Amino acid sequence: MNRKRLSLWAVFRVPILLFVLSLTGLIGALLQDGAWDGAYSALLASTVVVTVWALIRRRR
Amino acid sequence: MHARTIRAWSWTHKWSSLVSTLFLLMLCVTGLPLVFSHEIEDVLLEQAWTPADPDGPGLNLDQVLAAALARHPGEVPAFMSFDEDRPVVNVTSVDPNGPAGRYSFEPIDRTSGQVAPPVAGHPVLEFLLQLHTDMFLGLPGMLFLGAMGLMLVTAVVSGVVLYAPFMRRLPFGTVRARQSARTRWLDYHNLLGIVTAAWVLVVGLTGVVNTLATPILAYWKSTALKELTAAYEAPVPMGQRASLDAAVARARQALPGMKLQFVAFPGTDYSTDHHYAVFFHGDTPLTTHLTTPALIDARTGELAAVAPTPWYVKALSLSQPLHFGDYGGLGLKILWALLDLATIVILGSGLYLWLGKGRRKVG
Repeated sequence: MNRKRLSLWAVFRVPILLFVLSLTGLIGALLQDGAWDGAYSALLASTVVVTVWALIRRRR
Repeated sequence: MHARTIRAWSWTHKWSSLVSTLFLLMLCVTGLPLVFSHEIEDVLLEQAWTPADPDGPGLNLDQVLAAALARHPGEVPAFMSFDEDRPVVNVTSVDPNGPAGRYSFEPIDRTSGQVAPPVAGHPVLEFLLQLHTDMFLGLPGMLFLGAMGLMLVTAVVSGVVLYAPFMRRLPFGTVRARQSARTRWLDYHNLLGIVTAAWVLVVGLTGVVNTLATPILAYWKSTALKELTAAYEAPVPMGQRASLDAAVARARQALPGMKLQFVAFPGTDYSTDHHYAVFFHGDTPLTTHLTTPALIDARTGELAAVAPTPWYVKALSLSQPLHFGDYGGLGLKILWALLDLATIVILGSGLYLWLGKGRRKVG
């Protein structure tokens, strides 16, 4: 392993972003109904989208 | 992080996971169809049905109750709930001398007193739900699964901490697919574990709260509702009960504008030994999950109290949708299913990584 060490921020920035988006989606969908349910579900769906992206683009 | 700190977190992650993995796998596998129980029951139980006498005056609730109990001689009523899209009242009753927790469920056509076809409670889904809730072991089973939920939370937290040393030299999301199976599965485990952390924590923690339903309700009854029961010694017997229909009407007056959800009869978890607890919910997205009971003295039919639920009962009420994922339409349910499947992969890969480690040491 000759890659350089990443900072904690570099390691956790995407996980923190996904954590915040997921929680906002989970709680937002509880507070709103109708079209908003779709919008908040989309925030939670960011986890699935990022996973699929990583499985395709970050395979080596 | 010091090597010793990493070892401590590693030990925590390993043991909290090992203790709970088999039970969590069972919960994920049974939970997957339960996410869609409404849709599945729609298909499995679908029957063309029309009320017998849609334009008639309809039965009052005392008549509905009598019609249901006539089909279950010797049983006492436990709960009554109301279908939203058909004139059907569901009566749950229980044999007071029978085994705890064995309920009869009878949907009654309110226009005729005849039995209506059920739209919920398919035996396969009921079986899965029971397995998922308490493994057929009652309260001890529920509390045990709650403890497994706490293990899950511990495993997620320690997993997030350990994510840092493992990912210090890898960009986010890296999957080293050309390296050994162990490395590849470690990368899958880390990727899925970190992206699902928020959802798993929410579903895990709300699951733990749900396993505490019985003690939470018991505490509520023994504190907030205690004064209401001080006047009486023995539970109210069946023969001395005031009209249920009048009790519900009285409760409606006390909570105008709210929607009737269900009635808990005296002696059940949701009421005292002396009251009809008539539960209403609000009509905003949030308050639809929050209930307020009006307690009606079951002997006199008088309003005893409107008892807004304390914070811990509200927390229990909100934990249900957040655990079931049934509050945001089909899209949210599909996400619940995908994240549940991801959790199964995390559990399986975690087990594989642990087993592989043991074998390598032996070899």
